[in-house]
Amino acid sequence: MAIVSARIMLFATLRKKYGVKDLNVECDGTLFDLIEKASKILGESFFDDVYDKKQGKVRENIIFMINGRNIKDLEEKIEIKDKDVIAIFPPIAGG
Amino acid sequence: MSNGYMRKILRVDLSVGTLNIEPTSEDIAKKYLGGKGYAVYLLYQYLKEYESKGISPADINPLGSENVLIFANGPGTGVPGFPSSGRYHVMALKSPLTGSIGSANSGGEWGPFLKFSGFDAVIVEGVSKKPVYIAIVNGEAELRNASDLWGKNVFDTCRILKKKVGGENTSVACEGPAGENSAHMACIVNDEHRAAGRTGLGAVMGSKKLKAIVVSGSGKVPLAKPDKFKEISKRCLDAMRKNAVTGEGLPTYGTSILINIINTAGGLPYKNWQTGVNPNAEKISGETLAETYLTNRRACWGCTIGCGRVTSVKSGSFQVLSSEGPEYESVGALGSSTGVKELDAVVKANHYCDELGLDSITMGSTIAAAMELNERGYIPKEDLQGLDLKFGNAAALVECIWRTAYKAGFGKYLALGSKKLCEIYGHPELSMSVKGLEMPAYDPRAIKGIGLNYATANRGGCHVTGYTVVPEILGIPEKIDPLKPEGKAKWVKIFQDFTCVVNSTVNCLFTTFALSAKDYAELLSAVTGWNLTENDILRIGERIYNLERVILNKYGFDGKDDTLPRRLLKEAMPEGPAKGHIVELEKMKDEYYRLRGWINGVPTLEKLKELEIEI
Repeated sequence: MAIVSARIMLFATLRKKYGVKDLNVECDGTLFDLIEKASKILGESFFDDVYDKKQGKVRENIIFMINGRNIKDLEEKIEIKDKDVIAIFPPIAGG
Repeated sequence: MSNGYMRKILRVDLSVGTLNIEPTSEDIAKKYLGGKGYAVYLLYQYLKEYESKGISPADINPLGSENVLIFANGPGTGVPGFPSSGRYHVMALKSPLTGSIGSANSGGEWGPFLKFSGFDAVIVEGVSKKPVYIAIVNGEAELRNASDLWGKNVFDTCRILKKKVGGENTSVACEGPAGENSAHMACIVNDEHRAAGRTGLGAVMGSKKLKAIVVSGSGKVPLAKPDKFKEISKRCLDAMRKNAVTGEGLPTYGTSILINIINTAGGLPYKNWQTGVNPNAEKISGETLAETYLTNRRACWGCTIGCGRVTSVKSGSFQVLSSEGPEYESVGALGSSTGVKELDAVVKANHYCDELGLDSITMGSTIAAAMELNERGYIPKEDLQGLDLKFGNAAALVECIWRTAYKAGFGKYLALGSKKLCEIYGHPELSMSVKGLEMPAYDPRAIKGIGLNYATANRGGCHVTGYTVVPEILGIPEKIDPLKPEGKAKWVKIFQDFTCVVNSTVNCLFTTFALSAKDYAELLSAVTGWNLTENDILRIGERIYNLERVILNKYGFDGKDDTLPRRLLKEAMPEGPAKGHIVELEKMKDEYYRLRGWINGVPTLEKLKELEIEI
């Protein structure tokens, strides 16, 4: 698999906890590898914060967006492409 | 009369100076709960009475003696343990901004303290000859001279009257200079920074020469089943504390945490909605506010969430010693829509809106519309008198606010709101409003359901009538795709009906992140002693929404007005994840009308009969 480079942006309590706004991560194009590689930079707890190992998917209450689209809304197979922007939000609200 | 109510309503006629106390009606309460629902019912009776006297709805002057203002709370308001029940609802027969029914809602302490003072609602009729305020203390009410308060700002008025009336649980709701000067987006502010913001009700209050209503008292709300209520309340409050949004997200960051996510989704209005992607969103975001000007948080009465932000800009051109907010919608309108990227200027602008009594959403949107009119060369230079109205000009933003409140120079045009402003300059299409009310900060080209809600919301361009952003963006209670129009109508209808229940309970809409209609039915049953089911309360909500729509129809609003600005229907989103999208409104609207039982925006007689609405 080709290696791609994506930009991960963290928001709200995730940004506060890990002390970074954004970071570039190289991965094999899968969501799992992206999160795993990011946790190598940010710390192991990042993986657990974002990914539910038992369910084998991103945690239900995490808002995970690729280029502005929530992955829950994507019908096609999720694939991280070079220069994709990944935005990760913890549960937030307002209005 | 059932429990949950103080069983008295105060009716004040300012023209003759009388104050009468009437019983709260159990029959009306059972059908319309309280708050918004009860007020809608009463306003409809006024319309019928006027019509029987030959006064048509079109003849009602929103700033005349025939307009009626109703402040109302509901069976949940002020009940210790009822989730986030520190709110009240206020309505008027006619809004000066929209020409239709006026409606607004506010937090703080005033709502519960009105109840502790002994009343479920205050109805204000007529116009006083001299400035007055109403003092309601432990069941007794009187009109007092407010000549010495006329001209004072909101903060001074609140502080002076709170001290003057004194006593336990004292709170002041007032209008400021904007209301006195009839700015059409003037609002009512209580507890200094909590605003019943929308539809210009501060102007209605000002036109009546009513400076303030002060409430104070030590009454307690009677409960039908105190033990049962305690048990349900504990369960609901636990759910709210454990809920990721009401237990952590909102308390930590407040509402402006939405700036980045809405911008990421491509739906943050920028430069008067020319696009939904703001390149400077990060600079005005909730995260930036927390790192810079946030000093504390403040909760409304009895609230476990505490989303209010206490802020301070310690130095620079936009210094503010102590303020509250700005909330997401205020940042959206005053910041993003005007293209202003300096957060300190947005804090200052928001502070001025509170101080002078202006709705920050309509104010920001109107300034943004003026900026676009000016940049396109539609405003003669002599009208601006040197005001440099360009997108991104922070100083001009702040300048426009006091000019609007005092109708100084170009402020006299801004004070009319964006719809009339854009009509005056020949470009009504540049007003980002629905039924005359400016839309809050979600571009429906990127969030389709909120577009259907804006178009069909009874009070006009309003997000909290049916806040579908929750499932579309936040994925609560389930995730639905914001870019698809399919299936949105049922969500809009259920959110609109349930919100009527919340605004008639009266408590905070944010509870619905954690609580369901079933929770509400159980809470309200324990408080009132009625055996309400989830279906019962949603039916009450639907009844309220339909009766409010009947009033709209009487003002001449129908399907032609259930629409959106041309920009959202015809101009494709130029960039971001919603690039190329418009709002497919007609498709969604057809389904919505079918679900509502409406034809062209008008409820059928069968629907009204089914809901037991007597017209």
